[in-house]
Amino acid sequence: MTRRTFAGGVHVPEHKDATGQLPIEDLALPGEVFVPLLQHTGAPCRSLVEVGQRVLKGQKIGDADAFVTAPVHSPVTGTVKAVEERLIFNHRKVEGVAITTGPAADQAQTAFMEAVLEWQELKPEAIVRIVREAGLAGLGGAAFPTHVKLSPKDKRFDTLIINGCECEPFLTCDHRLLLERTEAIVTGILILKHVTGAGRVIVGIEDNKPDAIEAMKAAVSGHPGMAVEVLETRYPQGAEKQLIKALLNREVPPGGLPMDVGALVHNVGTAIAVAEAVTGGKPLIERVLTVGGPGIVRPANVRVAIGTPISDVIAHAGGLRDGVTRVVMGGPMTGWAQDDLSVPVVKGTSGILALDESLTGVAVAHEVCVRCGRCVQACPQLLYPNFLGTTAEHGDWSRAEAEGALDCVECGVCAYVCPGHRPLVRFVREAKAAIMARRK
Amino acid sequence: MADHRLVVTEPPHLTSGESVRRAMLDVLLALGLVTLVSLYYFRWNAALLISVSLLTAVIVDLIAKRIKGRPLAFGDGSVLVTGLLVALCLPPLAGWWVAVFATALAVGVAKEWMGGLGWNRFNPAAFGRAGVILLWEVTVWLNQQLATLRLTFPVSPVVADAVTGATPLALLKRGLLDVSYGQLLVAYPGGALGETSAIALLAGGLYLVYRKHICWRVPAAMIGSVVVFSALFGSDPFYHVLTGGLLLGAFFMATDWVTSPITDRGKILFGVLIGLLVVVFRVFLASTESVVFSILIMNAFVPVIDRVTRRRKFGQVSLTRTA
Repeated sequence: MTRRTFAGGVHVPEHKDATGQLPIEDLALPGEVFVPLLQHTGAPCRSLVEVGQRVLKGQKIGDADAFVTAPVHSPVTGTVKAVEERLIFNHRKVEGVAITTGPAADQAQTAFMEAVLEWQELKPEAIVRIVREAGLAGLGGAAFPTHVKLSPKDKRFDTLIINGCECEPFLTCDHRLLLERTEAIVTGILILKHVTGAGRVIVGIEDNKPDAIEAMKAAVSGHPGMAVEVLETRYPQGAEKQLIKALLNREVPPGGLPMDVGALVHNVGTAIAVAEAVTGGKPLIERVLTVGGPGIVRPANVRVAIGTPISDVIAHAGGLRDGVTRVVMGGPMTGWAQDDLSVPVVKGTSGILALDESLTGVAVAHEVCVRCGRCVQACPQLLYPNFLGTTAEHGDWSRAEAEGALDCVECGVCAYVCPGHRPLVRFVREAKAAIMARRK
Repeated sequence: MADHRLVVTEPPHLTSGESVRRAMLDVLLALGLVTLVSLYYFRWNAALLISVSLLTAVIVDLIAKRIKGRPLAFGDGSVLVTGLLVALCLPPLAGWWVAVFATALAVGVAKEWMGGLGWNRFNPAAFGRAGVILLWEVTVWLNQQLATLRLTFPVSPVVADAVTGATPLALLKRGLLDVSYGQLLVAYPGGALGETSAIALLAGGLYLVYRKHICWRVPAAMIGSVVVFSALFGSDPFYHVLTGGLLLGAFFMATDWVTSPITDRGKILFGVLIGLLVVVFRVFLASTESVVFSILIMNAFVPVIDRVTRRRKFGQVSLTRTA
C-alpha cells in the first residue's frame, strides 16, 4: 500500500484506541443552549430574534450582510432567554443567543429549509446559496464558512479533496463518520463535485484507519473520478496545505489559498453537512465530536447540538477524573485550553479532551533556544521556528516577519518537539498580532 | 466559573517529553564507553583529569551564574558535558592544573562569558583545548607557581611534549610509528584521553544520531571530506580519520547544537570545510590539534553559513530573500 505524505511533521502517539471503535451516540438536548453569533473567521452575525420569542429547531437566528460569514440557527425548539455576551472557547466574550429548550414533544416542530432531491438540476450558484443559508462552516476545526470556499473569484478547481485524515491525536469523530455515514459522504461529494466542476475527487485517509479506508473505497467504486488515497499517519497530515502537497504534490504559495493551485479541501463532516443541507434542508445545528482523553471517565463519540455547554458533554461521558489539569476544546495539538466548562460547543468543536500532566508535561519555565534543530526538522511549512522564536521573544517583529511568521500554520509540532519547552506557538501568535497591527 | 484545577496555556497540549537535560544525559552516556577506555589505559591520570575537569566545570558554572544573577542550579547538565569533553581532549600526562585552566576557559570564557548556553559562538571544549595551547606560556607559569607550592609533578620535557600533544598522528608523520588500521580502530593509546578507541567514539556518535540528538550530516560530511581531501593530497585517508581526535571532533564537537549550523545544507558545508581545514593543517602546516582549530575557525562562520544555506519556505518558488 503506497502511503503519501508531506515534508516534515512528526508522528505523535495517536491515542485513538479508546474511542475509535465506539459508535456515535446522541447526546440529549441540554436545558439551555447558547449559540454565539461569531464562531469563526469573518463578520459577526446580528441577532434576528428577541428575548421571549419562540424559535423552532433549524430557524435562522443570526445573519450578516458580509460575504465572509455564516448564519447561525437554533438547534432546539424553545424560547429565547437572552441575547447577550458570554465567554466562548477562544477566551473572548461574544454576543450570542441563549435559548431555553422547550418540551421534548415540541422538538419535532422544525423550520428546516426545503429539501432538494434533484439537486443535479440546480445551478452551482443555487447550491452555494443553500450551503450559505444552512450556515455551513468547515467542521475540521477552523470553521471557515463553506460557501466562501465554494466561491472562487476567477480560479478553477480541478481537484476536490475530502479530508479524512483526522491527524490530531485522540479525535475519532471523522473516523466514525467515515464508517457510519459513508453514503452521506458520497452524496456530499457528488454535490460538491457538481458545484465546483472538479473532475477529480480524492478522499485522503491516514493509514491508522484501515476499516474506514475499506468502507470508503467500496463506497466510491463505480463513481467515476473518485478515489481513496492512503496517507502516512503523521501530524499534521490533515492540515490543508500539507494534505494538498501529499496528494497532489502542489504547494500553496505563501499567503495563498488552495484555490491558487486548483484544489479545494473539505472535511468529511462538512461533506455530510452539505448532503444534509441540500437533500434534507437541514441547517448546521449539530455536529459529531469526540469527548476523550485520560481524564474522561467514559470516552465517547457523540452527536451534540451546537450551543450545548461542554460541561453537559463531559457529564454525559461520566465526568472528569481526578488529576485532570487541562480541558481542551479541539485537538490536543491546536485546540483551546478551557478553564470555564460552561462555554458552548460551536461549529468547529471537533473534540473535548481532558488531559493530565503525563501528557501535557509539567508547566516549567522555558529555557533559551539551544539550536538543537528539532523544530527545523519538524516544521511542515519549512520555516525556521527557532529563529521565529528568538526574534519574536525579543520583540523584533520585522525579523519575525522576514522569518515567515505569517506563513506559520500553528500546527504546534515545533513546540511539541522542543527540548527547551519553548512556547513557540505563543511567540508566533504574538508576532503575527504585532505584524498585523503594524500593517493597519 | 473558572475551575482552578485547569491550566490555560497555548497549544500544543502534548509534549514529546524531550528535554535539554535528557539530551545532555544521553551525550554523557554516549561518551561513557570512550571514558571507560581512557580510564582502562590511563588509570589514575585519566581519573584525575576527568574528575578535576568535571568539578571545575561545575564550580565555574556556579560562579558565572552568580555573577550574572541567574538562579543557581545544575540545570540542564550541559556544563558536565563540556567538562567531560575538555578532559577527553587533554593528553593523558597533562597536569591537573592544565585541566583546571582548560575547563575554566571552556566554561567561563567560551560558554558563559560569550553569551551563555544557546548564544555562545565557539565550541567550549575546543576553545578550552585550543586556549591551553595558545596560552602555553600561561600554562607553564601556572605550573611553576604550583610547583613552588609542591602541588604538582616535576615538569620534564617528556611531560611538556605530552601536554602539547605528540599524538600518534604527529609521530606517524615523522615516521616514528608503525601501527595497523586495526589497532587504531579498536584502541591505540597515545593521543588525547578520548582519542584512544575509534570504535568507542563511533558507537557513542551513532547512538546520538539514533537518538536524534545530533544530525548525521555534520559527521558524515566532515569524515567524508577528510577522506577525499587527504586522498587528493596523497596522504593515507584511514590514518587521518582514525587518529588525532577526528572522530571525537566529528561526533562530539562539530555537532554541538549551539555552535554548528541549523540548516541541512549548512551542516554539510560546515562539515566539508572543517574536513578540508583539518587536512590542510595536517598536510601542509605540521600542526597538531588541527581538529579543534578547524572546528573553532568554522564556528566563527556559522551565522554566515546559516544565512546562505536557508531552505525555501513551503510554497516559495525560489529564495527571494536571504538576509
